[in-house]
Amino acid sequence: MTGLPTTSVGSLPKPEELVRARAKASRGDLPAEQLRSLEEKATHDWIAFQEDIGIDILVDGEQYRGDMATYFAENLDGMAVSGLVRSYGNRYYKKPIVVGEIGRRGPISVGWHRFAQSLTEKPVKGMITGPYTMMDWSFDEHYGSREEVAMAFAKILHEEARDLQAAGAKIVQIDEPALSARADELPLVVKAVGAVARGLDVKTILHTCYGNYQEIYSYFNRLPVDQLDLEMSNSGLDLLARFRKDPLKKEIAFGVVDVHSHVIEGQAEVEERIEQALSLFHPQRLYIDPDCGLKTRTVEEAKAKLRVIVDATRAVKAAHGFR
Amino acid sequence: MMRATVVGSYPRIGDVPAEQKLRRAIARRDRGELSEEDVRAAERDVIRDVIAEQEDAGVHIVTDGQIAWHDSLSHVAQGLEGIEIGGLVRYFDTNTYYRQPIVRTAVAWRAPILVEEWRYAQSVATRPVKAVLPGPVTLAGLALDVHYREKRTLVAALASALASEVEALARAGARQIQIDEPLLTRHPEDLALAAEAFSTIAGAKGKANLGVFTYFGDVAKIYRDLLKLPADFLGIDLVQGSKTWTRLEKSGAARPLVLGVVDARNTRVEDPAALAARVGELRHSVDLEACSLSPSNGLEFLPRDRAREKLRLLARTAALVGGAA
Repeated sequence: MTGLPTTSVGSLPKPEELVRARAKASRGDLPAEQLRSLEEKATHDWIAFQEDIGIDILVDGEQYRGDMATYFAENLDGMAVSGLVRSYGNRYYKKPIVVGEIGRRGPISVGWHRFAQSLTEKPVKGMITGPYTMMDWSFDEHYGSREEVAMAFAKILHEEARDLQAAGAKIVQIDEPALSARADELPLVVKAVGAVARGLDVKTILHTCYGNYQEIYSYFNRLPVDQLDLEMSNSGLDLLARFRKDPLKKEIAFGVVDVHSHVIEGQAEVEERIEQALSLFHPQRLYIDPDCGLKTRTVEEAKAKLRVIVDATRAVKAAHGFR
Repeated sequence: MMRATVVGSYPRIGDVPAEQKLRRAIARRDRGELSEEDVRAAERDVIRDVIAEQEDAGVHIVTDGQIAWHDSLSHVAQGLEGIEIGGLVRYFDTNTYYRQPIVRTAVAWRAPILVEEWRYAQSVATRPVKAVLPGPVTLAGLALDVHYREKRTLVAALASALASEVEALARAGARQIQIDEPLLTRHPEDLALAAEAFSTIAGAKGKANLGVFTYFGDVAKIYRDLLKLPADFLGIDLVQGSKTWTRLEKSGAARPLVLGVVDARNTRVEDPAALAARVGELRHSVDLEACSLSPSNGLEFLPRDRAREKLRLLARTAALVGGAA
């Protein structure tokens, strides 16, 4: 039996050279083409690394994105970008501001998806920041209604998803880290994600993380996607008991390493997490990955975390006789 | 005129290099190029700047902006006996995170946590500096409790630990102390726990003016009972908690309120005249002269330039309400 495909969530750290180049480019000291060629090189290197260690479903690593919401905002009409605000500790980001009617000038992430896919035979995920998260993470100076903003994003993100599909993507992941922000808005999440995924002929994934899953669990099976990609390790796998009581009716991508810790998990620890997941999920519906995007780690830490995921998964597969 | 105050946090970073010294200092400390003491010095620099910004804008009661805090909970929680700090959890519906306090053993107060920071802030301020602490109900609700496994006991333990901190702050000279209980907007049923906790804390306040602030939502259902808490002032979020406006108009207020009317979650800048007119309508049910205006919650969710603008807007609105009297 086949089983336990490995993947990752989306972002991967940028190499020092690219970090410096982005800073230079933002000051206007580096031409766009030079930045682009460094982004391409970094994407190339990450694709090669994922292939080398044997990951099954690849990501482009988002070397060309700053923040996941701001990246889309920068490429949309009706949007501006704010000054820095704090995320936590000593981490800061710039937030999108909706300043007018939201519109899409053309495909946003499709070119990068095509480029990454051209470098490998393995599937590369198409990656969209979800409409609810785009709304929740943006300041709104225009619409005045959270639902209107979310649905305006959903409309243009559906177009983006269709373009990714037309470009050959077999898997489209909708990132909704803000999913559990307001329990009373879960119907809006379902509606907005549904408007993005509507009529797509690809495998759809919804990724979320760092929320109060217990409070929103009853909505998990209502999310109109094929797979949920969940952070499990940062929260000590405490969702497992809930899965046992109330089975998830979708595929799951199960986070087995904490992306916010410098510590590289031991292989035995990761194997134990995979075994726990296997006690609840069919191996063909169970994907193994990190909790979340690895971009806040150093390149070396991210590589070590991805390696331990692959090694631990191989060991568990061998123990169970999975291919 | 009405007084203007703030809720607590303030952006510790801005878009010009001079406003990014703390970020640089922490990054250099992490690379081993600077010491902890250098980071403390950078924090003090920024605290002086943000106090000056509040005073320049016309805010009457200021805070240190919680510049030294990693997040809204762990800075105080880590100073208590029995609590360890764990993984990151999203903080309410904000796109920010807190390191989750884990209650491992009995909670107790060890030594002052905020006193030195408050003393420094007051030493560089010309206006009163309000000390702000996370409340026992919010801390208990957002912590992971592997020791008591019973919320009421944990809240009581936290309340007596925080009471000691309040006492230490009052002794050091803090005359404005605020306990933040945002969780009451999500779990109004916890009000009974809050009432028990506040009687413990109020007993320790000495000469200080002790208040409670709820934000990130409305308290319409529990408004009247909130007013019965043994607190000298009650702060309420009237933006995300706009439902509380109606309650307020109907029920009035027997004690001073801090009215969180300026949206601290959105960059759109309100019209001070319209805002002042809206506040002015409360005149029939509330003694506005005894109340203050504030942002709806801490300002650190906004970029620095907008936070500054909101402070000016706040002071302007407060002046306009007074002028309309």
